[in-house]
Amino acid sequence: MTTPSIEVTDAPIGTTILEVDHLVMHYETQQGDVSAIEDVSFQLQQGESFGLVGESGCGKTSIAMALLRLQADNAVFKSGEIRLNGTNLLELSENEMRSHRWSDISMVFQGAMNAWNPVHRVGDQIKEAMDLHIRPQLSHSESRERIGELFELVGLTPEMMDRYPHEFSGGMRQRAVIAMALSCNPQIIIADEPTTALDVIVQDQILQEMKKIQRELGMSIIYISHDIAVIAEVTDKMGVMYAGKMVEIGDTADIFRRPKHPYSFLLLSSTPSITGPRRKLAPLEGEPPNLMDPPSGCRFHPRCPFATEQCSTDEPPLTDLGNGHHVACWNWQEVPDIAEGLKK
Amino acid sequence: MGKFILRRLIQMTGLFFVFLVLTWVVLQALPGDAIAQRFRLNPNLPPEAIQQAIARLGLDKPWYIQFRDYMAGFFTGDFGVSFSQYPRPVRDIILERLPRTLVLFTTALVVQYYVGFQAGKFLAWRRNQRGEMAVTVGGVALYTVFYPWFALMMIWLFAAQLDWLPLGQFITISLWKDVPFSSNEVFLQIFYTVFIASLAVVAVSYVARRIDVPRNRIFVRLAGLAIIAAAFMAYWRASPRSTYAWDIAQHMVLPVMILTLIGFAGIMLLTRSSMLETMKEDFVLTARAKGLSERDVRDHHAARTALLPVSTSLVIAVATVIDGGIVTESVFSWPGMGQLLLGAVLSEDIPLAVAAFSFTGLLALVGHFVADILYGVLDPRIRVTAQG
Amino acid sequence: MTDHHDEPQHSGVALAEPPPDLADVIVEPLWRIRLRLYWRSFRKNWRLFRTNAVGMIGLVIIAIFGLMAVMQPILINSNVWPSSVYDPVVGVDENLESRIVTIVDKPEDEVNPLTEISRRQAVFSNIQGSVGDEVEVLESHPLPPSREHLLGTDPLGRDVLSQLMFGARAAFALGIIAALVTVFIATSVGAIAAYFGGMIDSAFMRLADLLLMLPILAVLIVVNSVIPDFKVWHLALFLGLLGGFGGTAIILKSQALAVKVKPYIDAARVSGGGSRRIIFSHLIPNVMPLSFLYMMFSVTTAIATEATLSFFGLLNVEMSWGIMIQLSQAQGYLLSGLTFWWMLFPAGLAVTLLAAAFYLVGRGMDEIINPRLRRR
Repeated sequence: MTTPSIEVTDAPIGTTILEVDHLVMHYETQQGDVSAIEDVSFQLQQGESFGLVGESGCGKTSIAMALLRLQADNAVFKSGEIRLNGTNLLELSENEMRSHRWSDISMVFQGAMNAWNPVHRVGDQIKEAMDLHIRPQLSHSESRERIGELFELVGLTPEMMDRYPHEFSGGMRQRAVIAMALSCNPQIIIADEPTTALDVIVQDQILQEMKKIQRELGMSIIYISHDIAVIAEVTDKMGVMYAGKMVEIGDTADIFRRPKHPYSFLLLSSTPSITGPRRKLAPLEGEPPNLMDPPSGCRFHPRCPFATEQCSTDEPPLTDLGNGHHVACWNWQEVPDIAEGLKK
Repeated sequence: MGKFILRRLIQMTGLFFVFLVLTWVVLQALPGDAIAQRFRLNPNLPPEAIQQAIARLGLDKPWYIQFRDYMAGFFTGDFGVSFSQYPRPVRDIILERLPRTLVLFTTALVVQYYVGFQAGKFLAWRRNQRGEMAVTVGGVALYTVFYPWFALMMIWLFAAQLDWLPLGQFITISLWKDVPFSSNEVFLQIFYTVFIASLAVVAVSYVARRIDVPRNRIFVRLAGLAIIAAAFMAYWRASPRSTYAWDIAQHMVLPVMILTLIGFAGIMLLTRSSMLETMKEDFVLTARAKGLSERDVRDHHAARTALLPVSTSLVIAVATVIDGGIVTESVFSWPGMGQLLLGAVLSEDIPLAVAAFSFTGLLALVGHFVADILYGVLDPRIRVTAQG
Repeated sequence: MTDHHDEPQHSGVALAEPPPDLADVIVEPLWRIRLRLYWRSFRKNWRLFRTNAVGMIGLVIIAIFGLMAVMQPILINSNVWPSSVYDPVVGVDENLESRIVTIVDKPEDEVNPLTEISRRQAVFSNIQGSVGDEVEVLESHPLPPSREHLLGTDPLGRDVLSQLMFGARAAFALGIIAALVTVFIATSVGAIAAYFGGMIDSAFMRLADLLLMLPILAVLIVVNSVIPDFKVWHLALFLGLLGGFGGTAIILKSQALAVKVKPYIDAARVSGGGSRRIIFSHLIPNVMPLSFLYMMFSVTTAIATEATLSFFGLLNVEMSWGIMIQLSQAQGYLLSGLTFWWMLFPAGLAVTLLAAAFYLVGRGMDEIINPRLRRR
């Protein structure tokens, strides 16, 4: 299925291409600052898929937007760096940043239903990005040929490029969005809740499709989801976010087998498993904190069953547990193992 | 699309007929016997002449015959004879007035949509920046200003104080003394040349849009416009009537400007709020993520989609322009359809009033029709379902 | 985290004072509960509205004009303004004083009559003197603003401020009646169309489409000629009908549709509520806030239309802002530059300001009430 023109890999598999380094981003509102991203660090290797999981409002989407520098107008980067192949994106001018968008980092948006402009043909909307980034510029017929190939790659027929978005079903639109994300050979694709609005069967098809494409083309994908099942299915590594902070990061298999942060633990055990042994579901009680006035110490302590005195006063550092598994918790040793492993 | 247009046309025709009948019936109820005042009480008219006039006006027949004759006449272009300008046929009066009003209305509509849309677009894009507040306040002021007064103030400013433009009327009477042609001939000449020129402009931009390479596209567009402008200028330079045409054109500036300003603010405010809605849409974010420049995001994505609700407002804008036209024309003593309608109603000239009001309604219907088609062209969702 | 020791220890008190009897709670009649709820939501919305600068400016302007409208009859009746002088229609100030003017040698239309007199005019009025001399002449109307006439007088010697205040009354009466009729009809039409749907709905909506594209002024000119003696309340009624079955109905219908699909409507239906009950006690109250908002916009239209019609002399009214403007145009003050500014500006500004004020209040309310904007 792969044709020579659709080729992504430009760095050898395994090199670090993206480093997010102690990133702090706040939203400035009239009522005060909202600390949306607080000291978040992670790395992404070529060909790897990384998952970000957490409740809504925990800062996942803020990170996605920050990577493309499409943060809201009232967002301010307080400190930290985002390095793409060694260049700090936060120091680029707007024009320089524009040339990185889509050609290096593209995106599959949350609610891809609305990612299409209803008044332009789907093919034209893809061509628009290619005209901007692919050099030398493709001729009209070359672009159409390429879009056709991309459509076939994601399981659509090439004739569909001349249709309007409203003539597509939800799943088809999502496939077309993936085709658009691939159109400029990006190194990284950010998939923000790529399947949330779809029904379960289509969800699975799309995820399998993305896995297959990633295997063939070897780009990196950052999956962002509140649905831990999606993350489990498609990622190699994952980070768990809570209230703007990265509380646990490591191999997806490790975290699913041995979550060491109480939040990850509760998140995992509040998800029923069909394949594993029967167990009691532990509910996650309480509400996510108000980020305008986050709790002192560990931000999770008001909801944490393992919390001690120390948790409400001191912020826990990231502790290295080996094999790249880090956890930000004072009492990680208290967190029991989940009996079942993950079928991966 | 063809089917859709046809269905719309049939609906419109039906509606117009109902409107015409209603207008006729309502205006028959005009109080006061206009005929009596005009003819019977005139001691200078011999009785035979009165009888003749009444017969000519068809007033000696019962109402249903009058109705039948009128309807049959209307669709063959015979609208009867005016009472107040007796014995001038209504058709001649309408034919003289309609082009003027059409020019006034279309110019005002096109300019107010173009400028209003552009202004609203920039206003929304520069949200929360300096100047936004001032323009919004200005827009609200223009939107709510009392327009007879506004028109008077503009005359006061531009004609009386600054003396830039002529005061009112259609022509400068002193200039037109001893001229072998009528102002209407010259006006129609302007009308046709401008019409042909605008058709040419549309054709050029249509051709230019098909061209793929940006540089060639701009060249074709500019060259086309330059040729059209040159041809237009050359034609009028050569014409012996150019001074008179210029006089008419000068008299048109102020009415067109006022009519434009009245509608412009509403379109600007509407575009602004429509843009603010669209700017929150995900596809605008997608466009940014694709690395498009802010200008392309604004023009090609946000504004293009924000145009949809704005285009539906054309229906209301036509009504506003007609109302504004009545005011503008009477304030300026500018002889168009609006002034005609007002005059006909005030002088109880039933045939003229019926015809003037029917054509006013026809204008509104045509506006509705154009808005429908425009919306279909702009919104693929409508276009496609209309095809299927 | 274990703080059940801190639980308030007042169980003893609670025992000594038995919990309020359920009957006592229910005794309060439903209408009072409703009223209290309305009052509470009104207070909440008022708090929001107060922070909205645009809306508050509008409200202040309305209040000023309202005060003017109320003060005019009081001033006349209490004889602070004797009606022979200050009556807006028949009053005339005959107590003219003399003013000093200079005789100038200018064409008649360049003479500023407040400070100058042309040579011809001087000869005509039997005044001795040559060009450049200052002479005393009797004042003539219109008089410039003075302590007696804060906004001067018109050419017939009537007090402009009194006319302006009198006009405010008509503008308010008309605007409010028209808006009430509009909203009453539009709310009913909207609720009925949304509730029943089908034929009723499409009939009303087609009618609304039609009315929307009618040029109101043209229609009014025709209607006006058919109804002899067209009065302000005719106009109010007519505008109300046009608006009520027109554009406002479409907007209120879509709001009613949004309400119709809410679960509590289903609940009401399941518990046996008839159509009338559902429309009147559920749909309409929930559409009310938006109706109220569109009332403001209707007032704007009504005020402008009234002024336009009276400007054309098509309205049977003794004095209104439109008539004042018409007078200043007909008498040629337009061409006199700024000399007679009090003839040019007050009435036109008054119409504009009052119409704008209602529009601004509407916009202010829009941001609170309109669910589409509220999320912003």
